[in-house]
Amino acid sequence: MISVILTIFAPILGGFVYGIERIVRARMQSRMGPPLMQPFYDFFKLMDKRPIMIHSFHALMGIMYFIAEWFALAVLLLGNDLLIAVFFHVIAVLALVIGASSVRSSYSVLGALRELMHMISYEPLMVLMVVSFYLVVGSFDIKDVLHYNGYPILDLPLVFIAFLLTIPMLLQKSPFDVAEAHQEIIGGPEIEYSGPFYEALYTGKWIEYIYVFTFAFLFGGSHYWLGAILVIFAFLFINLLDNSTARLDFRRMVKFAWIVLIPMAALNVILLALI
Amino acid sequence: MESLIVLSIIIPWVFALTVYLAKNDFVTNSLSYLLLPILAFFAIELFFGTLPVYIHTSKILDILMDVYDFGLLFFFLYVGIKYKNSLVISLAILQITLLIMALIMMPHSDTPNIFVDKLSAFIYVIVALVGVPIVIYATKYMDYNEKNKHTFVAILLWFLGVMNFAVSVNNIEWFFALFETTTLASYALISFRKDEEAINNGILALWMNQIGGVAILIALILMIKYNGYYHFTDILNHPKTVAIAALGFLSLSALVKGAQMPFHKWLLGAMVAPTPVSAILHSATMVKIAPYLLLRIAPVIKGTLLAKLLIITTGYVFVVAAIIALTQDNFKKILAYSTISLLGLMMLAAVVGTPIALTASLVLIVFHAFAKGFLFVEAGVLEKAFHVKYIKQMRRLVERAPITLMFIFFGFLNMTFVPFGTFIGKWMMIEEVSNFLHHGSYIILILYVGAGSAFLSILYMKVLGISVRKAHGIERIKPIKLPITFNFVSVWYYLWLLVITIFIAPFIANEIVPIANMIAGNSANIHAIGLSLQMNHSILYFWQILGALILLLLIHALPYFVKFKADIVHPYNCGERFPRYIETWNFECLSKYENYLIAFSIALFIMVVVLGGGLL
Repeated sequence: MISVILTIFAPILGGFVYGIERIVRARMQSRMGPPLMQPFYDFFKLMDKRPIMIHSFHALMGIMYFIAEWFALAVLLLGNDLLIAVFFHVIAVLALVIGASSVRSSYSVLGALRELMHMISYEPLMVLMVVSFYLVVGSFDIKDVLHYNGYPILDLPLVFIAFLLTIPMLLQKSPFDVAEAHQEIIGGPEIEYSGPFYEALYTGKWIEYIYVFTFAFLFGGSHYWLGAILVIFAFLFINLLDNSTARLDFRRMVKFAWIVLIPMAALNVILLALI
Repeated sequence: MESLIVLSIIIPWVFALTVYLAKNDFVTNSLSYLLLPILAFFAIELFFGTLPVYIHTSKILDILMDVYDFGLLFFFLYVGIKYKNSLVISLAILQITLLIMALIMMPHSDTPNIFVDKLSAFIYVIVALVGVPIVIYATKYMDYNEKNKHTFVAILLWFLGVMNFAVSVNNIEWFFALFETTTLASYALISFRKDEEAINNGILALWMNQIGGVAILIALILMIKYNGYYHFTDILNHPKTVAIAALGFLSLSALVKGAQMPFHKWLLGAMVAPTPVSAILHSATMVKIAPYLLLRIAPVIKGTLLAKLLIITTGYVFVVAAIIALTQDNFKKILAYSTISLLGLMMLAAVVGTPIALTASLVLIVFHAFAKGFLFVEAGVLEKAFHVKYIKQMRRLVERAPITLMFIFFGFLNMTFVPFGTFIGKWMMIEEVSNFLHHGSYIILILYVGAGSAFLSILYMKVLGISVRKAHGIERIKPIKLPITFNFVSVWYYLWLLVITIFIAPFIANEIVPIANMIAGNSANIHAIGLSLQMNHSILYFWQILGALILLLLIHALPYFVKFKADIVHPYNCGERFPRYIETWNFECLSKYENYLIAFSIALFIMVVVLGGGLL
């Protein structure tokens, strides 16, 4: 029941998460920050704007990104198989990349290509993480993970750390906000969207927050308090990291994922499987 | 039943001969169209009939087969001498010597030589439903500035018959003959244009596949020497006693036929031939012998060191071929590399050998056959009707060739995305292998599958990215009208893929799983609940299948129909002038490692033969 509510209200919830994030980030920089409701004020303002687009294909892909992201979340929360949910996320990436590549704008196309580099970095790790859950819990079912009596985080510390460092890639946070890179390629895939179409993309990103932090929550098993602590910790950590680091080159990102994160997670899985 | 089998093998040969002799447009076209219902009917009757069927053949056929074998090898020798290629000559001589040795040593056996079970019938179905449309397509394709249309179509038809024959033989000596016949057919097709490059690539395909033939002969001799039998059914009946070295050499021939690195060059060379050749080699015939052979011997090699080494090698190829594909700019080459990559995955699944893994392998074979046939057909359309060969020429394809691009888009989606068969294969593999992590490190396999599928996804997105880019402010270009044959073949593949995907759960549970159960000897825990697919405790719900399908259908087809009522502006591009053309990344940073990657694959290959075959 909770998961149904969570799925349906994911955009609103994600908006609040984003609002909180902006406040937290501002406080870390000793600023006041915008009000909590700011993302929604933005939402209404954008919806009110004159709809402008490059061409229908491009605009449609923005909307498809939003729908695909929402659907991926629904699969994660309402389905039963984590692995399928990971693969569903690729559909959202497809819509984003195809949309961004369809316009003659160097920044947008560059962003799309970099988005692919993001995928190469996090996708194998997500698969590995799901497999590691299977090793601990004995099932790919999200309900079984949430009813597991032990503490998955204790069995999977390295996987959790690897995932923690993957979140910036998924959510476009510094040091891995390579595809968006506001100061460099001005938002990458989203640069050519405007008005309501941009709003679709923007809301899709909010849903991605819920999608990503759900995985962090799973590390708590049936101890929801632990899951909540982990989510809050991950949230604060990501924002701290975002505030305190500079953006890396995309090559560094891929190398970091493949040389540090994946072996680290694999080591944890190997140790777990052997012992 | 027997007559159906004989007819499925003979009819393509007869049709081929007729087409070759008649050299008449009407005959060629009508026979190719006619073959589709005939072969499809036979294959489906067989598939649902009572199997397995054993056919005892007369002694004369045995002798004929030997004569044919020698004729074939002497032809190879002739080709080697004609084009002064020492490799072909020496391999042909080696093969002749080995064959004579094998024939002298060979004891008499009462085991029937023809043996058709569900696995063979499964390949029949693929040959009929995927292979024949390519022949139909070729009848039109060859009308565009190509010579010798009838000979070409005749060879394609004959190839289908050879393929049907190759998967129904039981005797390994006969299997060798047909294995080398497919080599001959691919040589004839690849060097069809008779220019220098075509002949070079044909010779390359010839000698590489000859190595596979040598490996089969060595396996045959070893088997005769140590076991005294040389039939697939005998191997399967005595799983414990088979000489492991013989199995090692059989797997080696599968790796060569399946174009696994370092023997991948011959399949890449096939792209110089007319596109139907690539289509037929990649989808229904030739390379599919590789996973077929491994599926045949899967129960015997399961769990051995050989199997583990094969897993490491094929998995490595799965990832590395996908990586190298990223650096290519020729559309057919990209498709070829992705075939090599996915063949690696099929073989990997076959070698793991549990019922679920075998199911995954079979699912991959079906979907890869349909999708790759489809993609190559579209590549041919692009080449002939739109003069596009390189991905940089694919820009603005969305305006120039909207329907063809839509088909290519759909083919690409089939190769990697949820809910299509390739995804299901990977999903099954990952979940199945997760069970073995407790016994040894299959972890590398998970990494292989995860990484390989990520690389393939970005490969397809990269290619699509360049072709969907729309120009701005240009009048709509009138789409070129395509010939009806092209459209028929495209729609044929499209509809099959769509229908199978919608009914994928019952399709896998009712049609594919029984084959896997038959091979493995115990049953896979895969069921269809309505239209949802259950594997062990995991369920792929129908709402997920349908949801993903609708999303992807909307993404790849909707843009042609949707017109938003909004003001249209130029790209903002940060206020700068937007470029006319934008290239894409060529991943140069990866291409410089290509040689190292291939060198490592050679090491793995040797390891399979030496350690896996127990030669040390």
